[in-house]
Amino acid sequence: MRDVAVVGVGLSKHVSKRRDVNIPELVWEGVSAAYEDAGITPRDLDGIITGNMPAFEGVNLPELWGAGHWGAYNKPVLRITTGGTTGGSVGHGAFYAVASGLMDTVIAIAFEKQSDGDSTAGLNTVAVADMAPFLSYGIDPAFMLAFGGGAVGVAVYQASSYMKRSGCTPHHLDKVSVLCRTNAAKNPAAHLKQPGLTPEEVARTALMQYPLRFGHVCPASDGACAMILTTAEKAKKLTDKPAFIRSVASCSEEGALVGIAAAGTANTDPCAQEGCKVAAANAYRKAGIKEPRQEIDLAEPYAPFAHQLLMFYERLLLCDEGEAPSILDSGSMELDGALPVCPSGGVISTNAIGASALERIAEAALQIMGKAGEHQVEKDVHKAVAHGWGGAVNLNVVAVLADTPTPRG
Amino acid sequence: MEYKDETTSISGSWNLGQWHWKHETAVLMQHFLASLKDKKVLGLKCPECGLVYCPPKPYCSCLSIPEEWVEISDEGVVTTFTFSGSWSYGGMEEGAGTPRIIVGVMLDGSNTEMLSQLEDADRDHVDVGMRVKVKWADEPQGTIEDVMHSLPA
Repeated sequence: MRDVAVVGVGLSKHVSKRRDVNIPELVWEGVSAAYEDAGITPRDLDGIITGNMPAFEGVNLPELWGAGHWGAYNKPVLRITTGGTTGGSVGHGAFYAVASGLMDTVIAIAFEKQSDGDSTAGLNTVAVADMAPFLSYGIDPAFMLAFGGGAVGVAVYQASSYMKRSGCTPHHLDKVSVLCRTNAAKNPAAHLKQPGLTPEEVARTALMQYPLRFGHVCPASDGACAMILTTAEKAKKLTDKPAFIRSVASCSEEGALVGIAAAGTANTDPCAQEGCKVAAANAYRKAGIKEPRQEIDLAEPYAPFAHQLLMFYERLLLCDEGEAPSILDSGSMELDGALPVCPSGGVISTNAIGASALERIAEAALQIMGKAGEHQVEKDVHKAVAHGWGGAVNLNVVAVLADTPTPRG
Repeated sequence: MEYKDETTSISGSWNLGQWHWKHETAVLMQHFLASLKDKKVLGLKCPECGLVYCPPKPYCSCLSIPEEWVEISDEGVVTTFTFSGSWSYGGMEEGAGTPRIIVGVMLDGSNTEMLSQLEDADRDHVDVGMRVKVKWADEPQGTIEDVMHSLPA
């Protein structure tokens, strides 16, 4: 297996409605920025790995216009789509292509232009996977909606369970939103920037569904992310300071919804996220990391809902279970902290869904390369972990990045 | 080039209401549903690891085949919960905005959870660990909805 280096990262502007550009133009903003950052042109590419959420823009197979807009003429184009983890899986696909030796230089492209379509309708097409068990139980899908359909319906049961088991309070949720949205204020690519936000202001937003308030939930964004990956040898010619993707790992469980839709395992507690722990342990092992708590400098967990930042921090094996709320209180997760979390502002500030999990890897790479700008963390980042959560809420994807390749031998 | 204003939008829609399908209830589930008519809740037990699945599943997380039917209680414990605020999630057209309490319930004798609508309860007193029981209809219909309403036990 070969070492894989990140040599270019590009992000479009992210806002709720980009009516000034169409989908290809929006994606091109991220793609062209990545080419420029890496100092290459599409002629240097061996392949394109791309993904977005199926049907979110009201059309499918958007990679078919990629040839004209991404510089993909005469190149292989491979689309990967795995729900909320799509961007992470796209990153993994690009990693596989280079690590395997099949391609030298590839671009990973992930995007979403939610304002073009109907995200709820799109999500329903994803939810068909979850509906299959419903249907086999003889349940009308309309009945499922009465139990809180959609992503927030999944998140609230997880949040209640996590809060009970960890001691996380509503105040901790408010503080997570403040951490992320004030970081986002320093990130030009972020969507919801709220400098000076206070926990009290978050606590005053309307209750969406207990225990989550509007202030605890991500926006719907239009945006795109692109990353250029290449071999260690080629990276040397392009940059003095690449970021290396040391390892990727993923784990698919049965749907971690509560109950009926996921009654297939005994592990139905939606906050257990055993799959995240399995993926994280595999990723650390493959990356040569024995003590993630000591070795990881920065984390980008996938957290569209406030409690998930704390929950996934624990499931990424960065502390004991139930310890994350007090670590948040200690200030360790801030930009100048011992282990900064979501310096980009995270998914709770910016969620172009198909792009979100790739943006976690992109942020880890930017921080290692020292290119994050105003939201660059204070400490030197040698090793970082990037995460995605999605599928039919059953898939966890993890990538470990570092400033040096994986030690071998 | 940059264009400061909104570019021309071309809108359209797909009529997915014309897209029909049928999906059959699983055989194991049919047995489970039939027993509900007698107000009996059945679980399926794994011979290897002993986990009891309610509703039944044809395979276990330990990759064995559960095959022993066991009767389980219609009472259980709340594992998680939510209730809606003044605003309700899109898609909940009927009764949108009506405060409802939904709980995850693990029935005694089962190792899995089901969602249930909790009735006659004060939402400020609902918590993980609370005891609840199935609210049976006088004449259960043999559908999953028979066990999806509960009362404080």
